[in-house]
Amino acid sequence: MTRYVMVIDQRRCIGCHSCTVACRTWNKLPLDIVYNPVVTEGAQGTWPNVHKTWTPTLCMHCANPECVPCCPSGASQQDEDGTVWVDPKKCLSCKVCVNACPYGMRDASKLEDRMHRFVRKCTFCRDKRQLDPSAQPYCVLTCHQKARIFGDLDDPNSEVSKIIGSVKTERLFEEFGTDPQIYYIPDLGGKA
Amino acid sequence: MKHHYWEPPIALYLFLGGLAGGILFLSAIFNSFVIPGYAEIFAFPVLVSLVCVAIGCVFLVVDLGQPGVFWRVWTTSKSIIKWGATFLVIAAVFALLFFLAFIGDAWPVFAGLSGFLKPAADFFLIVAGFFGLCIMMYTGIMLSTLKAHAFWATPALPVLFTISAISTGCAAIVLSIGGWPMAGTLENLFAAVAVVEVLHVIDIVLVVAELIVLLTMVLSFLGAGNVTAKAAARRWVRGSYALLFWVGMVGLGLVVPLLMYIGGGHSAASTVVAPILVLCGGCLLRFMVVNTDDRAEIPGENRYYNRVAKNDAEFITRWTYGDNEF
Amino acid sequence: MTEISKTSSGLKGLVCPDTESTEVDIHQDGVEMIKSLCYFCHANCGVLAYVKDGDVIKIEGDPNYSSQGGLCCRGTSALLHVNHPARINHVLKRVGEKGEGKWEQIPYDQGIQEVAERLNQIKAESGAEAVASAGGTTRTDDWARRRFLNQFGTPNGFHNALLCWIPTFMAETCVAGWSPFETDLGGAKCLILWGMNPGASTLGGMNGYTDLQKAGMKIIVVDPRYSETASKADMWLPLRPGTDAALALAMLHTIIYEGLYDFQFVNDWCDGFDELREHVKGYTPEWAAPITWLDAEQIRAAARTYATNRPGCIQWGCTWDQIGRASTTGSHAIALIRAICGNLDVPGGDGMPGPSLGFLTDEEMEANECLPEEQKAKQIGSNKFKLTSWPGYQIISDNARRTWGKTLPTEWFCEAHGPSVFKAILTGDPYRVRALIVNATNPVNSYGDAKMTLAALKQCEFLVTVDYWMTPTALFSDYVFPAAGALERPTIVTHYGATDSFMGGRRAIQPKYDRHTDMVFWRKLGLACGQDPAMWPWETEEEAYYHILKPLGLPISNYNEFVDRVRMYYPPLHQNKYITNGGFWTPSGKVECNSSILRELGYAGMPTYVGCCENEIDTPEIAEEYPIVLTTGGGFMPYHHSEHFQMQGIRYLYPDPYFSLNPELAEKLNIKYGDWCWIETRRGRIKMRANVEPEVHPNVVFAPRGWWFPERDGSADLDNPFGCLESNVNVLTSVDDWDCDPMGGSWANRGLMCKVYKCGEFDKEYKKSDTQFSIPGSAKEPGIHMKPSEMKLDREPIPFEKPQPEIEVPEGYEWVWQNNTLYQKGTHFRLDESGWLINPRTKGYHDAYTGWRYDSASECLVDDETGKMYTMEREEIPFLAGVRCYPGQDAPYEVPEQLTWNKEKGFAQLGDKPYVYDPNSGWMLDPETGAYHDAYYGWLYDAATANLVDEATGKRYDMSYAPIEE
Repeated sequence: MTRYVMVIDQRRCIGCHSCTVACRTWNKLPLDIVYNPVVTEGAQGTWPNVHKTWTPTLCMHCANPECVPCCPSGASQQDEDGTVWVDPKKCLSCKVCVNACPYGMRDASKLEDRMHRFVRKCTFCRDKRQLDPSAQPYCVLTCHQKARIFGDLDDPNSEVSKIIGSVKTERLFEEFGTDPQIYYIPDLGGKA
Repeated sequence: MKHHYWEPPIALYLFLGGLAGGILFLSAIFNSFVIPGYAEIFAFPVLVSLVCVAIGCVFLVVDLGQPGVFWRVWTTSKSIIKWGATFLVIAAVFALLFFLAFIGDAWPVFAGLSGFLKPAADFFLIVAGFFGLCIMMYTGIMLSTLKAHAFWATPALPVLFTISAISTGCAAIVLSIGGWPMAGTLENLFAAVAVVEVLHVIDIVLVVAELIVLLTMVLSFLGAGNVTAKAAARRWVRGSYALLFWVGMVGLGLVVPLLMYIGGGHSAASTVVAPILVLCGGCLLRFMVVNTDDRAEIPGENRYYNRVAKNDAEFITRWTYGDNEF
Repeated sequence: MTEISKTSSGLKGLVCPDTESTEVDIHQDGVEMIKSLCYFCHANCGVLAYVKDGDVIKIEGDPNYSSQGGLCCRGTSALLHVNHPARINHVLKRVGEKGEGKWEQIPYDQGIQEVAERLNQIKAESGAEAVASAGGTTRTDDWARRRFLNQFGTPNGFHNALLCWIPTFMAETCVAGWSPFETDLGGAKCLILWGMNPGASTLGGMNGYTDLQKAGMKIIVVDPRYSETASKADMWLPLRPGTDAALALAMLHTIIYEGLYDFQFVNDWCDGFDELREHVKGYTPEWAAPITWLDAEQIRAAARTYATNRPGCIQWGCTWDQIGRASTTGSHAIALIRAICGNLDVPGGDGMPGPSLGFLTDEEMEANECLPEEQKAKQIGSNKFKLTSWPGYQIISDNARRTWGKTLPTEWFCEAHGPSVFKAILTGDPYRVRALIVNATNPVNSYGDAKMTLAALKQCEFLVTVDYWMTPTALFSDYVFPAAGALERPTIVTHYGATDSFMGGRRAIQPKYDRHTDMVFWRKLGLACGQDPAMWPWETEEEAYYHILKPLGLPISNYNEFVDRVRMYYPPLHQNKYITNGGFWTPSGKVECNSSILRELGYAGMPTYVGCCENEIDTPEIAEEYPIVLTTGGGFMPYHHSEHFQMQGIRYLYPDPYFSLNPELAEKLNIKYGDWCWIETRRGRIKMRANVEPEVHPNVVFAPRGWWFPERDGSADLDNPFGCLESNVNVLTSVDDWDCDPMGGSWANRGLMCKVYKCGEFDKEYKKSDTQFSIPGSAKEPGIHMKPSEMKLDREPIPFEKPQPEIEVPEGYEWVWQNNTLYQKGTHFRLDESGWLINPRTKGYHDAYTGWRYDSASECLVDDETGKMYTMEREEIPFLAGVRCYPGQDAPYEVPEQLTWNKEKGFAQLGDKPYVYDPNSGWMLDPETGAYHDAYYGWLYDAATANLVDEATGKRYDMSYAPIEE
């Protein structure tokens, strides 16, 4: 089996937004859709004892997604490899899945034709992987800092498996029971 | 953070759906158990509920990104939305059948049809009333299953919505009972007056119950550990929603009609103004709840969405690809 | 199908519910992958362009390039850039009033012809110097511009060079003979990123720093802002903006007085160290603490960390060049820090690449010999800011020719003073500049004092712009030429001819519409102006780049082959060159702690503290009204300089200008996050939104550079076209001569004093009164109040008398006072004590009379121009059939016994046959045909059959003389 996950190394991220722009460019997203915002609260602390970290986000491709069972039309679905995606041909854009996601990682564009809107979300570049199964998502390829690492968690030799097995990682909002599959290596002290 | 994926049409739909459910549910109860035999007097309230359902459905469909294919809502079996849509349709169909059973009284053209349906009218209303109850509960349950939103994800919400729906249903029946196409016989009028009297009392109970559930829910959020729910409750109690909440919903929507119901006797304040206020309060409740779609913030998310461009920014609207300027 | 026109990619992709996939299939038939380079900032990351039917369908980062496949926001937007609806695609000729925005599209060559005629007319009327040219950064082949300007005869080309490395380069070169531009980080134990934020400016570099830091390298960041890079640093020195010179001097003091410098190196290779020690005596960390707002202990700790973790590197940062009058003082002190710690040119230290001795440098492409001496003297600003204009360049360049054998280009390193040119347009002082050609820059946003610059552009008699976009500058132009951009042109990276590495990328597609590259523009303009076609032999960049690369001798026959096969050329890593070279590349051959070149130019030879132009200590009266310290000019993602504001996908993330201020200050000023605020200096005010964040000191604000609003209608408000002033930090900066660095001419972007206040209900619009320019800069007194020639510099020149030669200087030689040595004029070869000339580049000996090179292998002289060889008596050596002859001599080699030595002609022959014996191959050669004959029988060698043929009989023999039967 294959289980795609992403490890995000916050110790390396410098908040350049390259992943966001690469994603929106190559996935041809409408302007108001961002699959993978890189967010930060800014520097924290009192000058000059401050610290700043960035949290690159994307769909968590949860093992137990909230957004799939709620979909009335079956457009929101999950592949066997864990990829959660929306089939635009089936989507009604009722936005129940958008409201179901605890991470705010789905939305329908308001810049598109009013009668033909559909819910979009990160698919781990599913279209790209369908053309080339070994392909990496755009946000991973474009990252100068190599802060995003994509791979198969079921493959014990993959980089992600090794990292998750050896480094302390965190996941966002585990309390929702969604079992998110994006693993963060937190930046605690500003040392890379 | 991105907010308000569901816009006013959905809040209106939830209100109208609940209202229609309330009307059907109460009508069925009264017709079956309280004063059987006067089904005719509920013809107009049921028509009102049909109109509510129709408008609600229009709002619901309009809010879809792809309204043309709304029927895809019945594609899967699991989703709760699908159940809501189903309840709505069944309730509407049986309510319509019930209404048609009486339209012949006013429009002889339909006399045949009405004559054919009339024997089953009580049954139609019972089915419609049952699914009306389902709709009322559905509107709250649907929101409460979306656990990403702390303010919705509480069992109190379906209770609140159901009480509010019955209460608004009460108000609507009080305002509409005995209307067209009911034949203005003395018995019918007496029956209607009796129903109004009973509903008057019921609504007092409902409004009190709603007040208790609402305050319990909001105030318990205020003291709760969930940061997101707490922030939302704070907004209701002493933040930007406080005026709407205390003056609008609690004051004008609940306490004032309650006082009117209790002290107003048979004055217009009690029979007309109070029900209207209850309806407005119910509507306001749906708007405020739907708009309180706070999610737990990924640290920095609010700052991020606060900074990105608005969709009407000039640099977005200025250029169209394919057009070369120079 | 629904066509979504406003997808952020700008690609005409069909994205709709019916579309199966949004992915571009690069494996489909007819797709070619072309190795290209990103062209949106200096990092020039590798790009793979997928081209089908003459159009790029997709780009990716090149994983095999040094950037490891990374591409930032800007690089990723390349296709959007190519196809953006606001790109200029045709030559626009102004038909309305200036700025009215009415244009006629005309053919490219017609535009060139009309511009050339006008330029020639201005040259005839006012001299070539009345034509100036402003340039931009890394979007152009600058040598092509200089090649045009030199032939045209004007010295007034300029860039924003003075804010970006050039004064630093010159100061470093005065100290050690070249600028340590490259760092050998792999072996470094410590890295100082001083006024540099690779986390927002050169992401490819940042990746390497992070990796090395994980491996143990210490990173010290000097930055007033808690930058992206500072957030990852081991040590962060948050100094007061503009006080880098004080910090550097205090660190220098600490390193010297705590004995942390490299004793051996200083003893062997440094000149004037004792003077320097004495000179910096007073610059203690305690002295610097109140100036820099740092603790003395912090300064000491940084100095100790750097000096005791050797080898170490100090990465160059732009900040040093943007402080105004204190700029070069700081970079001079930093140059000395790295030198005395022995970190120059050593493994793990700051590399000293020198000019490329292999491929042609930019300087060799510039045709500087075409510019007459009297024109050099007319270069605007060269009488004031000498280090970076002809006076300083000439000295440094001559020295480089004597020490390296090649020199640095005049583009960037020898330019007119930009702000002074704009002032000359407005005032006619020292003379009226009538025409300005602006290429790849928008001076309103990128040069200092934006209001004055805008006024100059409006007033310029003849303005020509070459650009991608309709900038405020282009709006006021008489002609606007469309420029070909990334993917539409091949790209080379040679760092302005200041290093010896070479990286290249191919052109992915031919320029669209009527766009052309800048080289084509200058070439066409040059030819139209009447320049010699022989001086412009290359029609395309590919031809020119191949010409540049040819001397490397790589097995390539054109430029594209270079990219396909080599792509990145690095010369063999040569460190410790100063040892093999026998000295540093300064006039004295040592690291000059008291620079002789600076003294010769009338400057202090050692860094002497001067505060930045506005500060609490030196100018308390200014600080009273403007109590907050402002720093500007720093780069920030996702923009670059004043670029990319049109890129919707990028702009969406950062739509408005945000300046940073500390929450403490925000509370004091009653400012909340997101509020629009005014930032005001003595020179003007701008508005930006507040980013309340403790990333800066409670008394510092950080304002991003470059802002304008290309989406607006430029002609709607000609006082503030495209909003180019209202959020532009250069409205706040100063270009008054006394604020500029007297050495390098840098103007003041950092450490300025300002006040900040919230936009009031009745004071939130940018008004006409906010746009009024003045000379000198003042918001209170608009207008011209002083001529540039009346403006004083911050420091008076220090008189210097060049020593007179102690020896007799022969004709054709010049005497260098620093090392008491003679050099031949022209070649710059050193006259050795042996009487030979020595070529600094090859270290080869040359005959002092003829210049011929001594060839030690064949013990003769070679004229490299003609290839002819001469005896040591300078007699031409005869060759017959390519074999050297020794007429009148005895055989210098052993003659086989069957041959006879022909003493008269000087070669060995077989009987009376006319063939010449070649001692190297053992064959006889026919001087008539060049054919080979064997040395026993004289039979002809037939290469086709590998047989020998007796021509007399026609018989054939094999190589062992056995007859072959037919």
